[in-house]
Amino acid sequence: MSRQAILLCLLLAAFALAPLAAGPYLLSVLVVVMYFAYVGQAWNIMMGFAGQLSLGHTLYVGLGAYTAGALFVHLGVPAALGLFAAVAAAVLVGGAVGALGFRFGVKGVYFALLTIAFAEFTRILFEHIPGLGGPGGLFLPVGDRTGIDLIHLRGHPLMFYYLILAMTVGIFLLCRKLVRSRLGYTWLAVREDQEAAAALGINVFRAKLYAVMLSAGLTALGGVFFAFYYNNLFPNQAFGMNRSIEIILAPIVGGLGTLFGPILGALILTPLGEGITMATEALGFKAAGIKQLCYGLSLLAIVKFLPDGVWPWIRTRLGLEPEEDGEGDR
Amino acid sequence: MSGHSSPTVNRRGFLAAGAAGAAVLGFGAPLRAAQPLKVGLLLPLSGGLAREGQSCKRGAEVTPGLLADMGMPVQLMIADTETNIDTARTRAEKLIADGAQVLIGAFDSAHTLAVAQVCEQRGVPLVVNIAAAPNITEQGFKTLFRNFPTAPKLVTEGLALMKDVFKVTGTTPTKAVFLHNNDTFGTAMAGAVNKLFPTLDMPFPLVETISYDGNARDLAVEVGKAKATGADLVLLVPHGDDCIRAIREMVKQRFEPKAVVSPGSPGMYETQFYKTLGKYSDYCMTNLPWINPKSAMSQALLKAFSKSHPDALFEMNIGFTFEAILIAADAAKRAGSNDPKAILAALPTTNIAEHVMIGGPIAFDAKGQNTNTRSATIQNFGGKPLVVLPSDVAEAKPVFPAPGWQQRG
Repeated sequence: MSRQAILLCLLLAAFALAPLAAGPYLLSVLVVVMYFAYVGQAWNIMMGFAGQLSLGHTLYVGLGAYTAGALFVHLGVPAALGLFAAVAAAVLVGGAVGALGFRFGVKGVYFALLTIAFAEFTRILFEHIPGLGGPGGLFLPVGDRTGIDLIHLRGHPLMFYYLILAMTVGIFLLCRKLVRSRLGYTWLAVREDQEAAAALGINVFRAKLYAVMLSAGLTALGGVFFAFYYNNLFPNQAFGMNRSIEIILAPIVGGLGTLFGPILGALILTPLGEGITMATEALGFKAAGIKQLCYGLSLLAIVKFLPDGVWPWIRTRLGLEPEEDGEGDR
Repeated sequence: MSGHSSPTVNRRGFLAAGAAGAAVLGFGAPLRAAQPLKVGLLLPLSGGLAREGQSCKRGAEVTPGLLADMGMPVQLMIADTETNIDTARTRAEKLIADGAQVLIGAFDSAHTLAVAQVCEQRGVPLVVNIAAAPNITEQGFKTLFRNFPTAPKLVTEGLALMKDVFKVTGTTPTKAVFLHNNDTFGTAMAGAVNKLFPTLDMPFPLVETISYDGNARDLAVEVGKAKATGADLVLLVPHGDDCIRAIREMVKQRFEPKAVVSPGSPGMYETQFYKTLGKYSDYCMTNLPWINPKSAMSQALLKAFSKSHPDALFEMNIGFTFEAILIAADAAKRAGSNDPKAILAALPTTNIAEHVMIGGPIAFDAKGQNTNTRSATIQNFGGKPLVVLPSDVAEAKPVFPAPGWQQRG
């Protein structure tokens, strides 16, 4: 077993056993950590692996959340079925956004602007759909909070904890498989030099489209979790630009294009925020916004001193070879 | 309302009022332990809703002193939701872990519902100070109690009060134009206005609805369109500084409706509005729940508030936040215990006749909603919002039609 595999197993064991020692507060923080690790990993497929910058990824969170949520509210479709519709909707929209952008050669920051435009357009659209609650919100019946009903995603917070843990492990394994696959190497080629990849006979359009669609579908799954965990959806929350930024922070801080990066980034950022809050409270700083100030400074420090992300730095320090986890030079 | 005349009730008077209220309400329940009630207050102190959250916080800060005088010691534990649903949920868990026996908050409806689920799971009461989504009390929560009207009630009362203004002043506008911010709040309000308007038998037609981008640098086109309708009443639903831009544009274009009225939105009673527009801020009307200027308790709150925050506006957020803490403390006092279960048992029988907001006694229906809240018409005079309706609590008479922009001192 490689050192990275041991590290992963230890991390997984710690998360799996955390409910034995952690109280509800810590568990709620860990849910947020894993949620951002999950959606960060999904975004990483598109940006980290295939090099396509999306700054409107909340579009897929919102689509997944609203699709599964609305099916549950209006037709009683259980989440276990609704998620297929949610993923399908996001894959279709992702495909449309990707096809539109790539067909007309929209690249780099311009593609990022396109993704923002679609997210904003969808937010406004959803504000004008009365059947989805419009700006007044779509509310899922909260129901039983003690049992475990994975079909309808109703139940105890611990159920949601293990669900998001399973989702995070699942997406990690999927991405690990992907980066070692033919498609993964194709993405690597496209990310590093699109023209050279095309010259080698790679269908660049198709490779990028696959990345967008896969990333969108997986992100939508995160949206389904979001909808059933919080039980309320508002267009400005589900499709808000700030949520897009939150999604991309973990992989950027952890290490773009790496498998451990999004997990490590989420493990750093959420506890960092909580830690700063606790520290400022303990020190008696009561000014609102002090946390955001410290948080911003911490991010600046990370970006300044570890521009490739925290995981590549740790990996070097621990003497782990990138090839061991199939990440190539990522 | 800061700086209103005749704040004649001091803390002693407030205590007397509280004692009288206690007698009426049967506060003769066994005295609870001297330990203060630990109240966890969740507010958006930073982020997009920081202005409103900070206003609530200012109200909360003066509350423990007043409640202590009433024999209801409380210890506030204030947490910032950062206008973020994830943070709202984790902060709620943290407050409970730190010993909060009641939670209050969380201003934003989405955050409130996230917090409500935590409270329900943990058996801790949640008293909602401000959040208007009707569904909050439709989820079947056993631990949630809301002392704030729902959005449809806000709009219905906001529109109905206009009829009262016209009746009292003896002047009725011939037609109205509706201008609203196209953000989430403005769109929701517009939906409610357009839905409810035909059902309320309003004495004037709504000739056009015009939405605008709240971030637009000027509203020349929208105001020009509104002027072109020939309407003599402007219904305005702003959400921030856009109300300043709208009024400025009306002055610039010499569009002089008989009044600018908001059926329940922020903006036209905020400090920045008065400071920026000066005399042009006068006579604007807003219909919304407001602090009762005739209540002894609100006078005491005003006095305490003015002392600690001399430059801050004494407005709705402060009153509702105070009342939420009052409700929790009252329940604990009647229960004779700070135990969340005991407080939960006492909350449904809440009946607080003497409080600070306009409306009937604070009491909850089977869903945990206080149905006795009542909106008022406030009108700006000399850079201050004064209650002009309902007449029984009015501080001034409504002025309608408003003087032209250039006819003001």
